[in-house]
Amino acid sequence: MNKLDTLPKKKILSLFMTCGFPTLDQSKKIFNEILSHQPDIIEFGLPFSDPMADGPIIQEANKLALRSKLSTQKSLNLITELSKSKNNTAFVIMCYLNTIRKFGLNKFIKNIKSIVDGIIIVDLPFEEEGEIKKSLSKNNIHLIKLISPMTDKKRSKKLLKDSKGFIYYISATGITGSNRLDYKEINKNVQSIKKMSSVPVLVGFGIKSKKDVVNISNKTKADGVIIGSALIQKYFDLKMDFNKYLKKLNKFIKEVKV
Amino acid sequence: MKKYKQPSTIGRFGEFGGMYVSETLMPLLLNLDKSYKKIQKDKKFKKELNDLFKNYVGRPSSLHYAKNLSKYINGPKVYFKRDELNHTGAHKINNCLGQILLAKKMGKTRIIAETGAGQHGVATATVCALFGLPCYIYMGSKDIERQKPNVFRMKLLGATIIPVESGSKSLKDAMNEALRDWIKNVRDTFYIIGSTAGPHPYPKMVRDFQSVIGKEAREQILKVEKKLPDYLIACVGGGSNAMGLFYPFLNDKNVKIIGVEAAGKGAKTEETAATMTSGTPGILHGSYSYVLQDNDGQIKEAHSISAGLDYPGVGPEHSHLKDIKRVKYFGVTDKEALKAFQTCSKLEGIIPALEPSHALAYLIKAFKNKHKNKVVILNMCGRGDKDLFTAAKAIGFDADE
Ligand SMILES: Cc1ncc(COP(=O)(O)O)c(C=O)c1O
Repeated sequence: MNKLDTLPKKKILSLFMTCGFPTLDQSKKIFNEILSHQPDIIEFGLPFSDPMADGPIIQEANKLALRSKLSTQKSLNLITELSKSKNNTAFVIMCYLNTIRKFGLNKFIKNIKSIVDGIIIVDLPFEEEGEIKKSLSKNNIHLIKLISPMTDKKRSKKLLKDSKGFIYYISATGITGSNRLDYKEINKNVQSIKKMSSVPVLVGFGIKSKKDVVNISNKTKADGVIIGSALIQKYFDLKMDFNKYLKKLNKFIKEVKV
Repeated sequence: MKKYKQPSTIGRFGEFGGMYVSETLMPLLLNLDKSYKKIQKDKKFKKELNDLFKNYVGRPSSLHYAKNLSKYINGPKVYFKRDELNHTGAHKINNCLGQILLAKKMGKTRIIAETGAGQHGVATATVCALFGLPCYIYMGSKDIERQKPNVFRMKLLGATIIPVESGSKSLKDAMNEALRDWIKNVRDTFYIIGSTAGPHPYPKMVRDFQSVIGKEAREQILKVEKKLPDYLIACVGGGSNAMGLFYPFLNDKNVKIIGVEAAGKGAKTEETAATMTSGTPGILHGSYSYVLQDNDGQIKEAHSISAGLDYPGVGPEHSHLKDIKRVKYFGVTDKEALKAFQTCSKLEGIIPALEPSHALAYLIKAFKNKHKNKVVILNMCGRGDKDLFTAAKAIGFDADE
């Protein structure tokens, strides 16, 4: 069964974290901490050398992970290990296409089926998805769709046809970690998406605090939020003191679980 | 041979190319593609561009018979297509003028660009000054260091230079940052990409704007030699000057075509930029093409003494031309290029940029005492002023005073 098919009706929380950041061992501890809060979804970012659609914080996380020689296989092993205690949390992989291509699509799917519920391939637009979508769907892995404020109605309609899991609405026309949240615009676009699709709509990019989460919940019709950069940022705020970071993470996740 | 007709409507050159970008950029690229298609049929646009080519750039660029070099090689008759005489000193301006006219037509009010050698940055800053648009240039901090004259030029022209500290601090990273800027400022910004790389429609659009080089060269050589050339040679970074020269000849099956990449310290070493000799197909900057990458698909850092060739990717059309064997690609090392840089300066009184010095090095090496009675056109796509300090340092000449 795909855990993304049984998401709660409201206030869905999805937490994004880069695999292998800052090192593989520490990354395990971070994910165990995240998992202990049983968020609805965890997004596992596979590090890429050229994360074109990510902001400086996730870029830095990718760099640190790659510096400690993290391979795709090691990331997938980490996710597999964590899946043993996943309970009701849905697992989603977020990555760039070149990672999958180089690893081999079939081998990749073989590694993640029955462990991962969904996948976001950041640089795979709807026009290019053909084969990949078919193979994923055969293995009951949902290909998550991204919608941006620049996506017009006509395009959204095409994109959202038979969408599964959830829809990732990019809240700011910006890269992950940017800081302008325009609730009116978000709400307008979320409502328009909801007219075209019945799967939950999550708002991501630029969600930083409990206040943002509450505002999204109160001021928009979105079904939940995705938090990524803000989780990673704390590590740098704390001058890379790992023990302090774990504690901070615990506190922060409790806060945003509204 | 079937008539060459690439790319497909979705930007595929054979299996290469495409649009691999996030949904924040996709609508923009589709819009750009639409606008570009429209403008191609616009007579006024064509006239405006041709006027600028003629009166601002100084086109057509001449076709110079390099007699002394030909004698030295003791092989074919060598002609230089002299795009280094263009305003701003390289071929890059051809493309920038085309794109800024398009940006104007699309109502964009802010221009961004990436640059490696600084030639594309200078060309972009130049057209922005001409059209009165604010200009932001992303440039790796390593390149800022080795291309100082161009940095100063861009500043004089009124551009803002944004140093890029991420990754290898060179062209690849500058392009990442420019793409991020575009995602953030989608509504008012036009991104002028400087080579035949990036997502569709850039590889096609840049090729089309640069193909003025090949069209002119074709007419010019027919006039002086009464026949088509036997060989074309050009250096390949992202591939724009090469595509510009090659494209109008692709259907002439007797014209042999050679692309020369920068092999840095050697194509088999880790310090290389010879993408097609040492790389494998992968995705970089929104396009599927040959790329330098490791077993996990992480993009490697490129290395070349020439900042303009220091790129781990290559335009998708070159990947296609390699695979269908229409064009042959070879690597030339830093050392070989430096030697050709000096040879050409002494023999022809033309100081070439380090980029075309790679093409020159291949020509001298591979044609020495061979291919007599043949005719070669080499794309002299840039002049060496910007490289004087780098070259002096590499040769061991103290140019500080
Ligand atoms: C003089 C010159 N030649 C060649 C290049 C490489 O680009 P391309 O392969 O797109 O022609 C550059 C890039 O900066 C350049 O300045």
